[in-house]
Amino acid sequence: MTRNTEGVLVAVASALAAFGVALVEFAGGESIGAQVGLTFLVFVIAFGGIHVSLRAWAPDATPLLLPPVALLAAIGFLEVYRLSPYRAGLQRWWLLLAAAVTCAVLAFLSRAGLSLLRRYRNTMLLVAVGLLLLPNLPSSGPLPIRGLTQGGSRLWVVFDLGFTELHFQPAEIAKVLFVAFLAAYLADRQAALTGAHRKLGPIRIPEPRQLVPLIAVWAGSLLILVYQRDLGASLLLFLTFAALLYAATGAAGYLVAGGLLAAGGGLAAWRLFDHVQRRVQAWLDPFADYADTGYQVAQGLFALGTGSLSGSGPGLGRPDLIPNAETDFIFAAVGEELGLAGSIAVLCCFALFLAAGFGIALRSRDRFRTLLAAGLTFVIGLQTFLIIGGVLRVLPLTGITLPFMSYGGSALIGNFLLLGLLARASQEERS
Amino acid sequence: MNGPIRRLATALFLCFTVLLGAVTWIQAVRADTYRSDPRNARVAIAQAGKERGMIVSADGAVLAESVPDEDDPRRFTREYPLGPVFAHTVGYTSPIVGDGGLEAAYVDALRSRRDLTLSDIVAAILGRDLRPRSMRLTLDSRLQQIAYDALGDRAGAVVALDPRTGAVLASVSKPSFEPTLLGGADAAANWDQLLQDPGRPLLDRATRELFPPGSTFKTVVAAAALEAGVAGPDTLFDDPSEFQLPGSTATISNFGGGLCGNGSQVDLMRAFVRSCNTVFADLAIQVGAPDIGFMAEALGFNRDLDFPLPVAESVFPTAELENDDAALGQSGLGERNVRATPLQMAMVAAAVANDGVLMQPYLVDEMFDPDGNTVSRTEPEVLSEAMSPETAETLTEMMERVVTEGTGTAATVPGVRVAGKTGTAEAGQGRSYPWFIGFAPVDDPQIAVAVMFEPLPAEGTSETGGRVAAPVAAELIRGWLETRD
Repeated sequence: MTRNTEGVLVAVASALAAFGVALVEFAGGESIGAQVGLTFLVFVIAFGGIHVSLRAWAPDATPLLLPPVALLAAIGFLEVYRLSPYRAGLQRWWLLLAAAVTCAVLAFLSRAGLSLLRRYRNTMLLVAVGLLLLPNLPSSGPLPIRGLTQGGSRLWVVFDLGFTELHFQPAEIAKVLFVAFLAAYLADRQAALTGAHRKLGPIRIPEPRQLVPLIAVWAGSLLILVYQRDLGASLLLFLTFAALLYAATGAAGYLVAGGLLAAGGGLAAWRLFDHVQRRVQAWLDPFADYADTGYQVAQGLFALGTGSLSGSGPGLGRPDLIPNAETDFIFAAVGEELGLAGSIAVLCCFALFLAAGFGIALRSRDRFRTLLAAGLTFVIGLQTFLIIGGVLRVLPLTGITLPFMSYGGSALIGNFLLLGLLARASQEERS
Repeated sequence: MNGPIRRLATALFLCFTVLLGAVTWIQAVRADTYRSDPRNARVAIAQAGKERGMIVSADGAVLAESVPDEDDPRRFTREYPLGPVFAHTVGYTSPIVGDGGLEAAYVDALRSRRDLTLSDIVAAILGRDLRPRSMRLTLDSRLQQIAYDALGDRAGAVVALDPRTGAVLASVSKPSFEPTLLGGADAAANWDQLLQDPGRPLLDRATRELFPPGSTFKTVVAAAALEAGVAGPDTLFDDPSEFQLPGSTATISNFGGGLCGNGSQVDLMRAFVRSCNTVFADLAIQVGAPDIGFMAEALGFNRDLDFPLPVAESVFPTAELENDDAALGQSGLGERNVRATPLQMAMVAAAVANDGVLMQPYLVDEMFDPDGNTVSRTEPEVLSEAMSPETAETLTEMMERVVTEGTGTAATVPGVRVAGKTGTAEAGQGRSYPWFIGFAPVDDPQIAVAVMFEPLPAEGTSETGGRVAAPVAAELIRGWLETRD
């Protein structure tokens, strides 16, 4: 596939977003108007901009990354527009901003290279931790920035800009910085990590000293869980960390230990917290407490079932009956209006993106780039699995967004930052 | 390092495979369960307030139409100008309890397709007309009203067919209900109330409920006997006051006791005209279960009828009667386990009227678009050639004499030759189901009817079909022939 094909596919995705908006307008009985053109324009500027930036600053990067992202963004936008035209209007601005971030990353790193990140790894960790702590700021006070509890989880930050308030979910950006830090840290410490291990009978276990960071991150994740009640972010960070440790060392013991710690933490959380218990209950049988805890999952299942094979058509289903349809449950909204066909298309797009990402990791000759690409790809794959698995009742529901599709500025910016880094990693391994 | 990354990638792709399986399970395998879950409001919401096509009767009366709301011209209210008279056939549409009757059976044609699926949009681009279709029924609003009034306050059903085509001219079940009650805001409460009503007003007795057909079933037995050559109208039978069922201590006696003829012998014609049970128990055993069953099935028994409304399958249990003459004797009188819908018995009369050819009954005459252009039209179809024209002619003669000199004289219409058969099926506790089936005019049949009343609730209130049901048939025949002039 060539860069030109990428351009064509991106244009097709933009046209699809506009066509989807037109269908929603048509279904609502509105005349097809400015929204269609505006959507097309924003998509062309955003993805066309990234495409041009790739030509300019990362000409050798794989052209397989951008098209699936563009298509996912188009499908996601269409559902956000269908659910809330107002939020879709905001989402367009966020999309432009996020694309600008990707372009900026590509431009900035074209000179300095990814090795720059490696040098500033501790700074990135500090920023990531700071971002993660932001929601714990007091909810009211003299500061123009404060924490906010929404839906039982404290993972929002509100910027008071005087004329308007901006809601922000810092974990979405922290996760990218965290992965970049981990990749740098593990690339530097690899020798120490792989060299030392003890034998306990037939099992090789890592040197206890080497388990310290693992336990530290585990404790940090638990803190996030306790203080922010954010099951999703907590699980995502911890499992990504364990996976990267495994990737860097090849010691399956890290995965086993990570899995045990996650299970132990989960069990403890289940025993200690009502909200975790309710989620597990809603997962096991959403219809048992249909009116309350099971309502969201049950509505998601109704939406998917009603959508059936070919869906109701954009604008013709009732995904608005699902609570948080445009964020956590965007997959159910897509499934209702675009059917099983749409659901599978979305899963395939993610799979393509993952394949391209892991391809970059496997081809990279540099340890840091390999771990960075693998970590960034893994975090997207895991996040997708966690939230779609929650919607489909494969897993208990963890309230996180679906990458590239859910409504939300911080998520878009974080994931487009990730896209820029992956593209840069691809550029460096090929040139 | 690549090994572990490969394994991580594999693990993620396995997770995605699980997601693919789960989403397919939910959206393909379990889709209908979730879609039709009563707590899932989607389907009902999607249909509520949408425009639907009109339903009109054969004579042009509006039976159902969508009227735009005053405040919101994009929303519609469904109105049923003739209400309970057509409630079981036309049906109802409700966002809360769903659709019923033809409103449910033809929902795809009646709804506007300007707004539903991708395939509709493709069809629109190809220039297909997606506006709601309207339909013209075979039901005649005047005949339907006559039947509705004639049943009075009693539970019962009337079905009238055009024997030459199979067109259903009237189909009434009582008690009935007001279909608009199920469309409004109080639909759920009204639905519950209708469900709990001991009179079961939601039940369509014309097509959905099975009743013992009683002596009207003798028409089927006689047809089988004539067709098999077992007996003719002049064939003589013994005339005992009680017929001893073979292999049983039970006996069959005539209605009200007594003899059929003079006490020695009686011919089949007289036995039919006077509806003698002794003779027909004897005859049924002589003809045998296979031949009666064959005739019954040719007339529609034991068959899944292709009809837009749900139809209960009428029953003649051939297999269980083959080695049980005692039961066969009782079954020949339309008792025991023989069961039929009023529609089924109207089909029996129609087949005799139409020279033995049974036409496929149908309710929808044509579909037309909002400009009034016919989109499709139902062509009459032969369902079966149940009996030879000679058998039909002989039966017609026997049935005409039922009305002129037998049990069915109350079905007489001045100036019209009417043929028919009465029935008085036992309902226990001295009660009965009065029946009448028939057709007219004999020389040019235009209408075949079945009239059935449910038993009165009190004990010992048995009434004969000849006294209660036959006059209703006469009213229908008179009314229909008047509208034809």
